[in-house]
Amino acid sequence: MAPKSDLLQGTLDLLILRTLALEPQHGWAVAERLQQISSDVLRVQQGSLYPALHRLERRGWIKARWGTSENNRRAKYYELTAAGRKQLERETRAWRKLVGAVAEVLGTS
Amino acid sequence: MWSDLRFRLRALFRREALEDELDDELQFHLDQQIEKGVRAGLSRDEAARRARLAFGTLDHAREECRDARGTRLLDHARQDLVYALRILRRSPAFASLAVASLAAGIGAATAVFVVLHTVVMQSLPVPDPDRLVVLQARRHGERFVLFNPVFEAIQRDQRVLSGMAAVSDDPFLPVALDSTEPLAYMPTSRVSGSYFDVLGVSASPGRTLTDADDVPGGPCTAVISHGLWVRRFGQRPSVVGAHLRVRDTVCTVVGVAPPEFRSHQGGYAPDLWLPLRAMTSRELLQNHHLAFFSGVIGRLRDGVDRTAAERVLTARYRQVLAGEPEGELPPGVRPARPSDYTLALLPGAQGLGVVRNEFGRSLWIVFGVAVVFLLIAAINVGTLLLARGTARTTELATRAALGAGRSRLIRQLATEGAVLAIIGGTLGIVLAWTMTPILARAISMPYFTVVLEPGASLASSIGVAGLIAIVVILAGVLPAWRLSRVEVHPSVAASGRTTTRGGQRLARRLVVVQLALALLLVSVAGLLVQTLVHLRGVDPGFRPESVLVLEVQHETLRPEPADAPKAIRKQTLATKYDQLARQLNAIPGVRSAALSWLELFGGSDLGLTTYRPDRPDVRNYAHTDLVSPMYFETVGMHIVAGRSFTDADRAGAVPVAVINETLARQWFRDVSPLGRTLTLEYTSDQQPPFTVVGIVRDSKYNGLREDRTEPMVWMPLAQWPFEIRAVVLRVQAGAEPHVARDARARLAELDSSLMVRKETTLRDQVDQTMAREQLLLNLASAAGLLAVLVAAVGLYGTLAYAVVQRRREFGIRMAVGADRGRVLRLVMRDAVLVAVLGGTLGLPLAVAAGYACRAFLFGVTPTDATTLFGACAILGAVIAAASYLPARQASAVEPTVALRYE
Repeated sequence: MAPKSDLLQGTLDLLILRTLALEPQHGWAVAERLQQISSDVLRVQQGSLYPALHRLERRGWIKARWGTSENNRRAKYYELTAAGRKQLERETRAWRKLVGAVAEVLGTS
Repeated sequence: MWSDLRFRLRALFRREALEDELDDELQFHLDQQIEKGVRAGLSRDEAARRARLAFGTLDHAREECRDARGTRLLDHARQDLVYALRILRRSPAFASLAVASLAAGIGAATAVFVVLHTVVMQSLPVPDPDRLVVLQARRHGERFVLFNPVFEAIQRDQRVLSGMAAVSDDPFLPVALDSTEPLAYMPTSRVSGSYFDVLGVSASPGRTLTDADDVPGGPCTAVISHGLWVRRFGQRPSVVGAHLRVRDTVCTVVGVAPPEFRSHQGGYAPDLWLPLRAMTSRELLQNHHLAFFSGVIGRLRDGVDRTAAERVLTARYRQVLAGEPEGELPPGVRPARPSDYTLALLPGAQGLGVVRNEFGRSLWIVFGVAVVFLLIAAINVGTLLLARGTARTTELATRAALGAGRSRLIRQLATEGAVLAIIGGTLGIVLAWTMTPILARAISMPYFTVVLEPGASLASSIGVAGLIAIVVILAGVLPAWRLSRVEVHPSVAASGRTTTRGGQRLARRLVVVQLALALLLVSVAGLLVQTLVHLRGVDPGFRPESVLVLEVQHETLRPEPADAPKAIRKQTLATKYDQLARQLNAIPGVRSAALSWLELFGGSDLGLTTYRPDRPDVRNYAHTDLVSPMYFETVGMHIVAGRSFTDADRAGAVPVAVINETLARQWFRDVSPLGRTLTLEYTSDQQPPFTVVGIVRDSKYNGLREDRTEPMVWMPLAQWPFEIRAVVLRVQAGAEPHVARDARARLAELDSSLMVRKETTLRDQVDQTMAREQLLLNLASAAGLLAVLVAAVGLYGTLAYAVVQRRREFGIRMAVGADRGRVLRLVMRDAVLVAVLGGTLGLPLAVAAGYACRAFLFGVTPTDATTLFGACAILGAVIAAASYLPARQASAVEPTVALRYE
């Protein structure tokens, strides 16, 4: 089994929200995009993406609708809701703070 | 929040659609991934392989997605439910027994609880019922009465209550709703003007009574009940201002009480409230010795607590009493100083409590019986599930080995018990529905009925839910918890013979508890049977069979004109009664008929002072009644010496009396009382001494439990013409209906003011005094019987399963030479052990329960050896029967078959 990069709890959520902030996407596209923008550093087991999507949907941060994909197939598209946009801002701020703090610690040691 | 809920609900109810969507979504993903691989030049198969690899386990993802929906618990519950139902369907006998016993238990407990709640616990439907108090006067710490002048004096200047109101209930007041209607009895209350204010109840339409209505000699105003308004006035608002007749007084309706308000006490629902002082004679209002209140209620002023108010009011009460004229004391009552009196304030949230006092205790006992029965039923289901679960240990071990978590196992096993409990509970509630009114009727007294409020009993629902929860725990969770502790030993599991001795042990303990509780119920039933047998065995001193009783009352339309000479009025009455007695005796089918002033076993009582003219200093109480000739013959009292009254004992003749043996012994220890004289002291009327002409065998007066006979004296109604209360008729068998009809007709012809309140039989009057015991017995014996059955099934179930479990052991034992008798004894030994333990635990419980209902026992003590022994014997026999079958089965094991079976 390929070594999984341990995503911090909540990081996947943040990344998904960020990805969806650009435009509504279906699950596969989200997975692809995650891989692209993280330059293959974050290897998300694709299967674990869906539970995360469903969880975010339950929280009301994203909503789903069925649409037609570029190759004319029925696909489930996710898009950010207003609440999700706020959540993204919140999480981004929190993440920056955390990263800053960690950098601080690493820098001074 | 909302979206979350919507999401979960959709997940719950549109499960199939969601599953399909999920499949579509995941398939789409894989297809895309494969497409990508193919585009990159991979073969389709290779692309599919890599896509799956990148995705991870499909099932795992699915499961996680379901988790993400937040309905996993419910999904599992659903699986468990389906599984449990399948298992139960496979053993219909077990399932129906379990459901039936639980339904009976829950039904009975609920019905009793609803009635108990209504009668004993429910607060009056008024604002702030907790601020209400009941004022109870006490002398030497014992209940005493408040006389109106004292009440008024306290009411006038007390400051600790925001108001206090006296109430006088009259369940029989002749009322006509319009001028054309004849008078008919109606339950009523006369109340102080402050009554509705104190309770915080307002009228609609119209107004309530106020102090302005409550004036001596004032015009009569009335508030009618909502029920009467609906029944008789078609809810017309014009009822306000309508006139109705109360006896001969015209009353104006001023308002209608709210629908939820019944009265100042549970169980009494008057249709009419009248102002107390306007509707009571001045003589009575001013009387310092005659009490006519049913009770006094008050409401604590804000910021005043009950004890403080009690102190203040007691002080005021004593002060008022100190200024009271010294009254004549009944003989035997020691004179009291004001400091001997207190005015207690009792919590009044539930109002006055006639039914409550009367039946509260028996209801608690009945409730206890029902709950004990329910416990037995619940434990029984638990035991059987446990026993069956033990047989399923291999399955459980396998499932545990396959990775089912313990909590998952518990939940799955508990679901079975819960399903049974819920089906049983639902049926039980239906059962309670039908039983509650029957029970309410059974405990209602002639004058007071338990009014069940429809749907108002939130507390009852909570109670029922609590009961069902207990059942679920006992029947489901407990065995599940125990069973889930399976040892997962691959070797053991493989042999198919996992033994959870622990499960067996718990099952057996539960059976012991069941047997102990069953013993309790059976012995309580036994004590009550003995009580009733003893009560029925009591010789009342008369023969109550075939005697019709009409309880009558002279409803004089106006107070008798004071100027009519008393002597003439009495003479008229005497003539009338003489005529009536003759007419009644002439009715075909009547063996003999008589009139009496009091009613035998009717709860009324009059004690007068008697003394021998030659020894005026020694005085004694005697119960007194005035009767027409033929009275003793009619009720079946036995004249042991002398004669009964005849038509010759009339006004002007020598005053005579018949006394009972006790009175005879009291006054004439060594000489024959016949021909001797006694004097009876009756206020205002100084009567000449009367001559004793007959002696009657001692008899009971108002109850079979009377442990000593009171001295009694009867005098001819013709010589003492007081208004009669009862007509008694000894009739030929089968003649009752037409005799009752004819007697009513004679009464109506003679005097239309002589109204019949109640038609009953002397037997019923006597039985009425045993009603509570009978009710208790019926319920306790039904519960006891069912409990024994259920416990027997529980025992049978555990033993039978144990035998199945130990089949191989028995086979081996027999293979190595044990004979069948030995195996039989082996199983029976188990049963005996359980029985002995059950008895050891149950006997103290039974004795304790006996003490709890000691107040109802008669002629038997809680530790009655016969009862306890009998209960043990019954249970022992049932245990023997229940364990014999499994034992036989065990001994019938064929060694070769049993061993091959493994």
